[in-house]
Amino acid sequence: MRMEDTSNSKVEEKFRIVNSLGLHLRPARMLANLTNRFESDIFIKKDSEEVNGKSIMGIITLAAPKGALLKVTAMGADAQEAIEAIGKLIENKFGEDDE
Amino acid sequence: MRGILISEFYESMKDELQLTLVAGKDGLRRRIRWAEINRPGLALAGYFDYFAWRRVQILGKVEITYLRSLKPELSRTRIAEILSRKVPCIIVARRYQVPRELAEGADRLKVPLFRTPLITVDLIDRVTVFLDNEFAPSVSLKGNLVEVFGEGVFLEGKSGVGKSETALGLVARGHRLITDDVVRIKLRERKYLIGSGSELTKHHMEIRGLGIINIQKLFGAVCFRKENQIDLAITLEGWDPAKEYERLGMEEDTIRILGKPVPHLTIPVRSGRDMVLMVETAALNHRLKSMGFNPARALDEELMKAMGAR
Repeated sequence: MRMEDTSNSKVEEKFRIVNSLGLHLRPARMLANLTNRFESDIFIKKDSEEVNGKSIMGIITLAAPKGALLKVTAMGADAQEAIEAIGKLIENKFGEDDE
Repeated sequence: MRGILISEFYESMKDELQLTLVAGKDGLRRRIRWAEINRPGLALAGYFDYFAWRRVQILGKVEITYLRSLKPELSRTRIAEILSRKVPCIIVARRYQVPRELAEGADRLKVPLFRTPLITVDLIDRVTVFLDNEFAPSVSLKGNLVEVFGEGVFLEGKSGVGKSETALGLVARGHRLITDDVVRIKLRERKYLIGSGSELTKHHMEIRGLGIINIQKLFGAVCFRKENQIDLAITLEGWDPAKEYERLGMEEDTIRILGKPVPHLTIPVRSGRDMVLMVETAALNHRLKSMGFNPARALDEELMKAMGAR
């Protein structure tokens, strides 16, 4: 029953980039590898620019430095899980060891 | 036991070195077991400690002149002492007349004795290159080897993934096939991985649905090379949706062949991906990287700059 409720859900959340180097190539790859594991369509928006969250080249285009605010939208059955996982990756600074 | 029969050495090198067998033909079943040569000057002078008897012995100007200066009995003793230590063979350079004591000794103790018109350094070079090649560590691997834009690309992958078809496509585009199916790889001079194919099947390929084709007959002499260095290894595999493929190319993956690291890529095969173009691009990109340009790193630097600017 809950499954049916979420089957076409749209989840949106805002995240702030916290690692000091920003969303450079390595984090972009990690993010794209993560988003590709989900069925849902995922979009990432910074300022007025929105890109496909499953495309490395798209993510790079955002050139999001530390402090940038990203609006992440996921649409599909696993949208909620996707947003949670993305949030965790960003909060964990993409595993980068920085101050 | 490992080693090269003197008869094989003679057969392979008699034209290049213009060898004549002067004496000791009963010793042609001896073996060379050491990939180096020795000039037995000190042994001729009577110093036998550490005498490198396992090596091919080469007599040049100094050795022959010195032998000639000795009294016949002394010369005979020293020669017998050298020959009785089971040296594999002796080569006399510069068309020197072989001293009688040496020829007699070689016959008696069954040590093959050759003569060549080559000068000593030239002889040493050629023998060393031959021995180094013969004794080089080697391995046979399944896959094919194609030279693409000057880069030796070793293509491997499971049977039926399309290795031969990819190689055929590359050949049709003007690249050169070294071998299809099995690559014999040697580590030359402890540095270079050189791949070649079998003499018998080197011009042939088996393509499913077509059967055996002769690529030299189909595409002409331009399509073929006897051997080539291995610069890049590519594994072709069926696309696995659960696997994460390399997306940046910032770090280099390597595989080891005969202990040497070789840059390696895994390229997933899927309809709509032109494998010939993939391999061509991989070869060119590898060339670019070996010239010091890494496209992913360069883009990363630009990206960092862009982030700083905003």
